[in-house]
Amino acid sequence: MEMSLIATKAGDTGLGFRDCDAKNLPLFIFSSSEMDTNGSDSSRQIQVRFVTKLEPPLKAPASSIAVPSYLNRMGLSEIVNSLLKSVSSEFEPQPFDFLVDGELVRMSLEQFLLAKGISAERVLEIEYIKVVAPREQKDPCLHDDWVSAVDGSDPRFILTGCYDNISRIWKAGSLCTHILEGHTGAVTSVSILNTTGVENGNIRLATGSKDRTLRLWMLDVAGKVDYPMKIGAYKVLNGHMASVQSISSAPLGDKICSGSWDCSVKLWKVNDSEVEGDSVSIKKRKLVSDMVEESQAEIEAMSSFVGHTQCVSSVTWPELETIYSASWDHSIRSWDVETGKSPWNMVSGKVFNCLDVGGRELIAAGGSDPILRIWDPRKPGTLAPIFQFSSHASWITACKWHSSSQFHLVSSSYDGKVMLWDLRTAWPLAVIDSHKDKVLCVDWWKGDSVVSGGADSKLCISSGISIQ
Amino acid sequence: MAKSDSSKKSVKKEKEPLENQPEPDLSSDSDLDEDSIWSDAVGSSDIDGDSSGTSEDDVGGNGEMDSPDDGRDFSEDEGSLEHTREDRKDGNDTLQLVEESDSSEDEVAPRNTIGEVPLEWYKEEEHIGYNISGKKIKKHARKDKIDSFLAGVDDSKNWRKIYDEYNDEEVELTKKETKLIRRLLKGKTPHAGVDPYAPYVDWFEWEDKGHPLSNAPEPKRRFVPSKWEQKTVARLVRAIRKGWIKFNKPKEEPQFYLLWGDDSNAAENKRQGLSYIPAPKPKLPGHEESYNPSVEYIPTQEEINSYQLMYEEDRPKFIPRRFESLRSIPAYEKAVKEEFDRCLDLYLCPRARKKRINIDPESLKPKLPSKKDLKPYPSTCYLEYRGHSGPIKSISVEISGQWMASGSTDGTVRVWEVETGRCLRVWNVGEAVEHVAWNPLPELPILAVSAGYDVILLNTGLGDAEDNMRIKELLRVEESPLTNDDGNKTSAVSWLQHTKLDGIRLQHFKAVSTIEWHRKGDYFTTVVPMRPIFFVATKKNIRVYDLLKAKLIKKLETKLREISSIAIHPGGDNVIVGSKEGKMCWFDMDLSSQPYKTLKTHPKDITNVAFHRSYPLFASCSDDCTAYVFHGMVYSDLNQDPLIVPLEILRGHTSSYGRGVLDCKFHPRQPWLFTAGADSVIKLYCH
Repeated sequence: MEMSLIATKAGDTGLGFRDCDAKNLPLFIFSSSEMDTNGSDSSRQIQVRFVTKLEPPLKAPASSIAVPSYLNRMGLSEIVNSLLKSVSSEFEPQPFDFLVDGELVRMSLEQFLLAKGISAERVLEIEYIKVVAPREQKDPCLHDDWVSAVDGSDPRFILTGCYDNISRIWKAGSLCTHILEGHTGAVTSVSILNTTGVENGNIRLATGSKDRTLRLWMLDVAGKVDYPMKIGAYKVLNGHMASVQSISSAPLGDKICSGSWDCSVKLWKVNDSEVEGDSVSIKKRKLVSDMVEESQAEIEAMSSFVGHTQCVSSVTWPELETIYSASWDHSIRSWDVETGKSPWNMVSGKVFNCLDVGGRELIAAGGSDPILRIWDPRKPGTLAPIFQFSSHASWITACKWHSSSQFHLVSSSYDGKVMLWDLRTAWPLAVIDSHKDKVLCVDWWKGDSVVSGGADSKLCISSGISIQ
Repeated sequence: MAKSDSSKKSVKKEKEPLENQPEPDLSSDSDLDEDSIWSDAVGSSDIDGDSSGTSEDDVGGNGEMDSPDDGRDFSEDEGSLEHTREDRKDGNDTLQLVEESDSSEDEVAPRNTIGEVPLEWYKEEEHIGYNISGKKIKKHARKDKIDSFLAGVDDSKNWRKIYDEYNDEEVELTKKETKLIRRLLKGKTPHAGVDPYAPYVDWFEWEDKGHPLSNAPEPKRRFVPSKWEQKTVARLVRAIRKGWIKFNKPKEEPQFYLLWGDDSNAAENKRQGLSYIPAPKPKLPGHEESYNPSVEYIPTQEEINSYQLMYEEDRPKFIPRRFESLRSIPAYEKAVKEEFDRCLDLYLCPRARKKRINIDPESLKPKLPSKKDLKPYPSTCYLEYRGHSGPIKSISVEISGQWMASGSTDGTVRVWEVETGRCLRVWNVGEAVEHVAWNPLPELPILAVSAGYDVILLNTGLGDAEDNMRIKELLRVEESPLTNDDGNKTSAVSWLQHTKLDGIRLQHFKAVSTIEWHRKGDYFTTVVPMRPIFFVATKKNIRVYDLLKAKLIKKLETKLREISSIAIHPGGDNVIVGSKEGKMCWFDMDLSSQPYKTLKTHPKDITNVAFHRSYPLFASCSDDCTAYVFHGMVYSDLNQDPLIVPLEILRGHTSSYGRGVLDCKFHPRQPWLFTAGADSVIKLYCH
């Protein structure tokens, strides 16, 4: 249950609560009259004004004050805390992060201004926001084998896929309510089809596995169950020639796409009940063996997008009409759902393992090197990444954009670390080091938590991340 | 005449006190002027007016007075005759004077010998100079003015007298002289006898001499081109064509030479045609060789001591020391020895000149492209596959690149997921596994394992259900006569006859063209994918067989001590061979049976070599715990030699019982390298 918040690489750790002791705070505040008397002081003073978009209890008076220029993030945080304390005495100190001209301050104020070429003469406007870092580390959910996939798009539960061929549903972050059995290979990817069935409490899920199939599951999450309930798939999607590596559901939840080792991206329709019956009968007649259970229906792929030359390691479906896929052939392609054409193809030098589209429709992808890269597909002419985050030490296995914030994303790596990133700074906001082994998957949950599964068979939940 | 004389006298009388007397320096010209004045006055009989003014009139108005002059001239001509008579009458002195005046002045030395010096130098003296014999010439006593006046009155010839200051005497001009002067003043010839208009005498005959040019007709040769000229022109043309004559010859610049420069390669020496060796120029002495150098040149005692630790050659030849004065400098202690050495040098100096080639060692390096241009290639280890408990002897990557199999001396065969490093399956063979190999067909994921004397075919079960069934049938058919192996759950399939084993394998896998086997023993076999050629590596040589014709095609001579591994380029024409002495040979089969390149890379045994299937990469791994990655580009152009560039040394494995990296394999589709170490770890190096 250890949780360390590594705020910056420079070791600016422990932006903790205990350091913000109210007794120590006024030391850093100088009125303008005092500034004259301290003119002989070796450090320079900078006139700053703190602004924020936070709600009133966290709103500091908007008067400019002079602060010494050697202050870093922690010093600024203490000043803001003391300002807030002076407004309301029962204010609880908390760390803040500071933005100057849309950049997070990650060094001393003086160095920052020098690096950015900002004049120290005029009053500097510093916006402060709450620190984006997990404050709480919940008990890990123990699995029987490596946790290979996780989906936290539903705030009520977490869906995980595991190498023991079983997918699980964890409610409230600790209780395993449902066990989805049926795959004969390790589950590689899970997805919640979140639109249909919400009204009656039934939720549809999809899982992809190394047994070359996708399975669809339907379950009622609203019902109270004490023991883990075993559920079988109601549909099996057959058609891939090799392990299914990644699946992603359409924004409306009526379709699902999957990427596989057979180099193809396949599109499946999941809620068409009429076709369902026919295909079942055909399949049954074809397959004489009894390997397929009676209750399962099998459907064929709606369409298949061919273009990649190697394993399609990750697919994502951010818009109705566009699917993005990343592959081991070093390319990321976008696919038009209707035509099956690939209007955008970006070739990089490295193998891609993960892909996500979010923020301002930016593509984040990581692969066989420790750098998380972000591309802007709308930028014409260039295929150079617009951001590169290189604090990881090994392959990046998963990356996810925050669903509401356009700046934040989370990434996991084989070096056992999960990192929170903000586009406004090159350093990770926080490093979650709770896994003992490779981290295989990561996702946001409920907007303020990060769930990650790894090769240590644990699902770790880090919560209390305040992203406004 | 008398009248004129008298009038002249009167003028003289008036003038003398004015001009002659106060100015004794006046030259005789002024006296002559007086004469002309007088003569003019004679012509015009006008005595009045300024003397200078009249002289001007005389010059300007010469033409006006022509007629009276002529008349007088005539009279004077007569007078000149008279004058000669007078001269005869006058006596010897005047005669001499006339003769003297005719002859040159140099003949008769002047009385005074002081030369042309300002006379005022003698103004104060009693003498005016010296005569030829060196005796002083005394000054005459000065006449005062009254005396001179009286003398002038008495002497009717006074007007002709001129005072010669130089000789301090009065000279009396003769009539002839005055006449001469007068003629000169008029611009006439000095002597009246000269006739300027003498009649022309035609001395040379000219009549009846005829025409100067010949009237003969022009000869024919004048109109025919000259043969001689033609020859000359032809010769010149030939010379120009052959370059004997050159135009626009560059002007030879004056050659300067560097006075203080190094004359070792001067043109002067080359011209001699001798192997001239200039004497070495000693370094000019600096401050440190002064007898009393500055303190900073003096080494400290520690430095001097440290010189003793240096090699003899590196030691400084001269150690600066300080002396109070030049007197206190001791004798040069090494003088005798150096003389002796010099003598030895001269005595033992080889008379033949040794030719030494100066080559920059950098220029001998082959021009290789930079590593950056040859990307991608494996360089960094990101994934490790842990699980084995003994040294991993062999690895093999499935053709799709999704799985990898490894065999270890702990008796297990493991199948790994490449992407995550997860061990999917383990088989315990029970014997140390020598070699593992995947079936290269993607739909038949069969693993061949050699362990000890056994070869085992394993069904990995990684395909789907249909594939699994097919593989089961396949293996059952094959194995049915001998053992009860069901293929899926495996145990060692022991074959009793090894020759039989080979035969069965070859027969059975004819469709599967490129499976590679390793057997315990001295032989490696590899089937080339492109052609039905079969390689057998013996201890020192490699035999290449054609399978279709079943005969030996080629024998590659490695010249290595012991071959340990062999790999064939996917094109089939190039072979690399690793040896147990750490050398690797690249054979170009089309080129020769000798190695194209031999790379001495590893300090220890090479355990395996590998080619990448698609990227131009090859690798070698060795017991020194490293793997080397090379760029090995084979061009389709047969004329271009393969390009071999060493790229990267991959480290990371640890040594165990003297063994390092035991196997290396490339990922079939990515530029990644798997290395299996004796430390029971498999590492994946990515680009």
